[in-house]
Amino acid sequence: MMENAWLIPLFPLLSFLILLLFGKRLKEASAYVGILLTLASLVFSILVLFERFSEPTYITKFNWLTIGDLHLTAGFEVNQLNALMLFIVSLVSFLVHTYSKGYMNGDERFPVFYAYLGLFTFAMLGLVISPNLLQTYIFWELVGVGSFLLIGFYYYKEEAKAAAKKAFIMTRIGDVGLFIGMILLFWETKSFEYSAIFAAVDAGAISGTMITLTAILIFIGAVGKSGQFPLHTWLPDAMEGPTPVSALIHAATMVAAGVYLVAALFPLFAASKTALLTIAVIGAFTAIFAASIGLVQTDIKRVLAYSTVSQLGYMMLALGSAGYVAGVFHLMTHAFFKALLFLAAGSVIHAVHTQNIEEMGGLWKKLKFTGPLFLIGTLAISGVPLFSGFFSKDEILIAAWEGGHPILFLLALIAAFMTAFYMFRLFFMVFTGEARGDQKHVHESPNNMTYPMILLGVLAVIAGYVNTPWFGSFLGDWLVDGNPALGHGHIEGPIWIMIAATVVSLAGIYFAYMMYYKRSIARNTISGTGDTLHTILLNKYYVDEFYQLTVVAFTKGLSYFLRFIDVFLVEGLVKGVVGIVQGLGRTGSKMQTGQVQTYGAVAFIGLALLAVIFALTGGYLR
Amino acid sequence: MNLHAVLTILVFSPLLGIVILAFMPKQAEKLIKVVGLLATVPALLIAIAAYLHFQWGKDLADFAVSTSWIQFRGMGGVPEPFFSVNYELGLSGFQLVLVVLTAVVATLSALAAAKFVKKEWKGYFMLFLLLEIGMLGVFTAENLILFFIFFEITLIPTFFLIGKWGYFEKEKAAYSFLIYNGLGSAVLLIVIMILFGKTGTTNIEMLTKIIADPSAPLSGDLKLGLLISLLIAFGVKLPIFPLHSWMLKVHVQAPPSVVMIHSGILLKIGAYGLIRFGMGIFPEQFKTLATLIAILGVVNLLYGAFLAFIQTDFKMVLAYSSISHMGIVLIGLAAMNEAGVQGAIFQVISHGLISALLFFLVGVLYERTDTSLIENLGGIAKGMPIAAGFLLAGAMASLGLPGMSGFVSEFMAFLGLFKELPWIAAVGTIGIIMTAAYLLRAVLGMTYGKAHREFTGVLDLRGVELIPVGVLMLLIVLIGVFPSVLSSPLQTTLETIMLGLGG
Repeated sequence: MMENAWLIPLFPLLSFLILLLFGKRLKEASAYVGILLTLASLVFSILVLFERFSEPTYITKFNWLTIGDLHLTAGFEVNQLNALMLFIVSLVSFLVHTYSKGYMNGDERFPVFYAYLGLFTFAMLGLVISPNLLQTYIFWELVGVGSFLLIGFYYYKEEAKAAAKKAFIMTRIGDVGLFIGMILLFWETKSFEYSAIFAAVDAGAISGTMITLTAILIFIGAVGKSGQFPLHTWLPDAMEGPTPVSALIHAATMVAAGVYLVAALFPLFAASKTALLTIAVIGAFTAIFAASIGLVQTDIKRVLAYSTVSQLGYMMLALGSAGYVAGVFHLMTHAFFKALLFLAAGSVIHAVHTQNIEEMGGLWKKLKFTGPLFLIGTLAISGVPLFSGFFSKDEILIAAWEGGHPILFLLALIAAFMTAFYMFRLFFMVFTGEARGDQKHVHESPNNMTYPMILLGVLAVIAGYVNTPWFGSFLGDWLVDGNPALGHGHIEGPIWIMIAATVVSLAGIYFAYMMYYKRSIARNTISGTGDTLHTILLNKYYVDEFYQLTVVAFTKGLSYFLRFIDVFLVEGLVKGVVGIVQGLGRTGSKMQTGQVQTYGAVAFIGLALLAVIFALTGGYLR
Repeated sequence: MNLHAVLTILVFSPLLGIVILAFMPKQAEKLIKVVGLLATVPALLIAIAAYLHFQWGKDLADFAVSTSWIQFRGMGGVPEPFFSVNYELGLSGFQLVLVVLTAVVATLSALAAAKFVKKEWKGYFMLFLLLEIGMLGVFTAENLILFFIFFEITLIPTFFLIGKWGYFEKEKAAYSFLIYNGLGSAVLLIVIMILFGKTGTTNIEMLTKIIADPSAPLSGDLKLGLLISLLIAFGVKLPIFPLHSWMLKVHVQAPPSVVMIHSGILLKIGAYGLIRFGMGIFPEQFKTLATLIAILGVVNLLYGAFLAFIQTDFKMVLAYSSISHMGIVLIGLAAMNEAGVQGAIFQVISHGLISALLFFLVGVLYERTDTSLIENLGGIAKGMPIAAGFLLAGAMASLGLPGMSGFVSEFMAFLGLFKELPWIAAVGTIGIIMTAAYLLRAVLGMTYGKAHREFTGVLDLRGVELIPVGVLMLLIVLIGVFPSVLSSPLQTTLETIMLGLGG
């Protein structure tokens, strides 16, 4: 089966091509094309995953591009991480395809939506089976385009247009880092193959400085894609896209690609302490930074977006603390519960036609499925014991502590408190209390929307049990498989970390409960509405404004300065050239005086010159 | 089979069209268009056949032709015949891909002209076919005199095509084109004459050998001077900053079908000349200038990109974008290794296809809406979804999206330069970001957002208009996904160049 893994990305590509060419004729049937083909991917992915449990890594490649003596290859690889990612991506994609049939029902560009979903799924699946950096980069860019197209799906909205553009350009800034890092690594090892790079790192063939430099450059690419500080601002704006897209791309899969990239290249990063520390610091900072913004946002999708940024920060912190398993584990559980949360949020939006949580409230009774499912997702992300997020977050905290980063550990713990708080704030404001908006026509979503959520709900509960301190670390042992570069399968941590994590999470829930359900603590206890702190958080620390005033202004300024040069200096040069030509012409025409004496004189002087030359050179001009 | 006549037939096949057109009445619009279009087909078929000939493992040298042509009798005391110029055509892998590109774009441009040209079709197509002869000749000529003659043949029809069928300031643009290119030609002619005088031959292969010989009658300084002159002559064409202002006018004022040719093929003559003559004949001197050329490349790349970022007319965006993309050619060449040079050649082909595609779309938009100003066009994705889709896809190709030809070339050019001059290359990567910024700003500005005005009765791409965009897009994706279709003919050329560079 593994030798056929290359088919997995091709099914959605086929869906993209079919829908691009015949979507107009297929109309609503487009959904079935997309759903069936992603189902095929899912079935293949499950088969591949099971086969990979018992068999070794499969890798194959062929010559893609010849440059003189250099042969660049393409191919695919099924190792543990890839097989797991194939499963996660094709599962979430299949569920989102199914869900969208209800959510996007009636949209004028329904087939186009499914076509774009197919393109994205193709690129994402291609990304996770790439055996070399160049191919990874190729698909890395393609997922970016899929994301760009879907963010801008409502192309007639100015906000969607701006968000799509921003997403593309900001991630591209990161991509350039990856691009440079990849090329520098190539000239060190004469290969883009992961195996060759790891072999060179192992053999000490690359200098320490170069490892650090390339690792950090590649990490910049991950920062862009995974919405890490300071390139995070595109991700919340990306919520302009349809909600199923936010679930698939901007929660479960693409934004986790940065984490995946660091994990896939882990032996390289592990060889540089500086690179690991950079990742850990950026990750921990992003985790708390984004969580604090999430505390005050009022748009349901934006709260979830900031929580995504924050959770991705956790994963980076894990990887940076050498917790390979913890990072990948959290990637998986997060994919399930965050996709669930987004789909549930979509179901809410579908019902009440607003994204503002101030206008919701009291939906628990009206949305019989969505409410409990949202609660499950909220419990999982908050790290409440026995839910999946609890186990993976615990692993990360242990990794940060054992990795010797007590300060980062503390930051992560505070962020965990904030997460529990803002997620339950969201839950209470949406589902409890009085209805604050018009809810006459509210009804539960159709089955094709609720079934995917139910499946994700089940996974959000049970996915954590593949790697627990109580029932064994099956996932970790399998992922690491004795590879010393990836660390241990399971880190034994002190029990107090688990207790501390539980306490902060419950404390967060308690505060949210008191503030937003019981209302016995006023909402402005810590910082009042209109306070400086509140205003700063509401404006997301003014990072966007800062970029506008610096990077954007500088670029524009430089452009206008160059235009000044173009208009005055370069055009001046043109005028000069034209002037010379015209001048010569005028001089020439002035010579045409009509006076025979002048002509005679010119002819005589010419003859005299020729005679002199003849006399000096002996007749032949050498 | 004797294939020596093939190239001559290829180059001069449009002549048949010119002759037929000469005898046709001016008013026979339909017939003129059909003849004009069909006259480009033989060259296309021969070019494709030659490509297949290569891919089936046969030798491109089969096509080479050489007969004696002009001879100067020696003057007193000189062994005779002193100077002889042969009629020599040939086809290396590099030339082959350029010939295919030329033939493809020429046919598609003829199709575009049949759509967009509104007057005096007879004159247009006759000049156009003459231009095609010039272009095909330039890329197959094996000696400098013949090259120069074909080079000049491209200038004259282009001048008239711009001056007569262009937009409002067409005359100004045409003269600007003529003066700059004329000066470039003059410099080129001087170089050719000095080489001819010093070595007695203009055959490119012979020249390369003679100049590589240390006992050649040329001092190092003279060679350097000649190379700098070539850099100026072809720099006008490419164009290299600050010699670019003429081409902005041409891009804006010339009719779209001519810009397809101009941006797609004519600018590429500059790159071809730099590679074949600059790097091919003066490899040693090219090495000394490598850093300078790399800097020029980065300047071109960034200068074009930053200026494209603030243009209001989409045609100007594309014009500056051409400058920017030609910077990538220089970057690749400056690397002087396999990756860089192959990247530069890929960029030549890739940009030819992409700019032909984008300018065709500009033509479509202008015909439907009478404008190419970005702000006037907002929101056309609603009325023209197919055109808007191709525009976006073209922009993606242009900004170097993997899976399309632009990425492969950009990637290889940077791969090459990072090996030799990493710091300059690192500065150049800013261009990768800026390219995305200016293209998305322009294309999203035109297609996305609210429609500023009702484009009532505006038709989307349809019928034969889908052929050029479809063919070009297919080729762009083909090269992006299977770059070996383009790289395999180039390997021998690369080997030759690398040999000249000393390994």
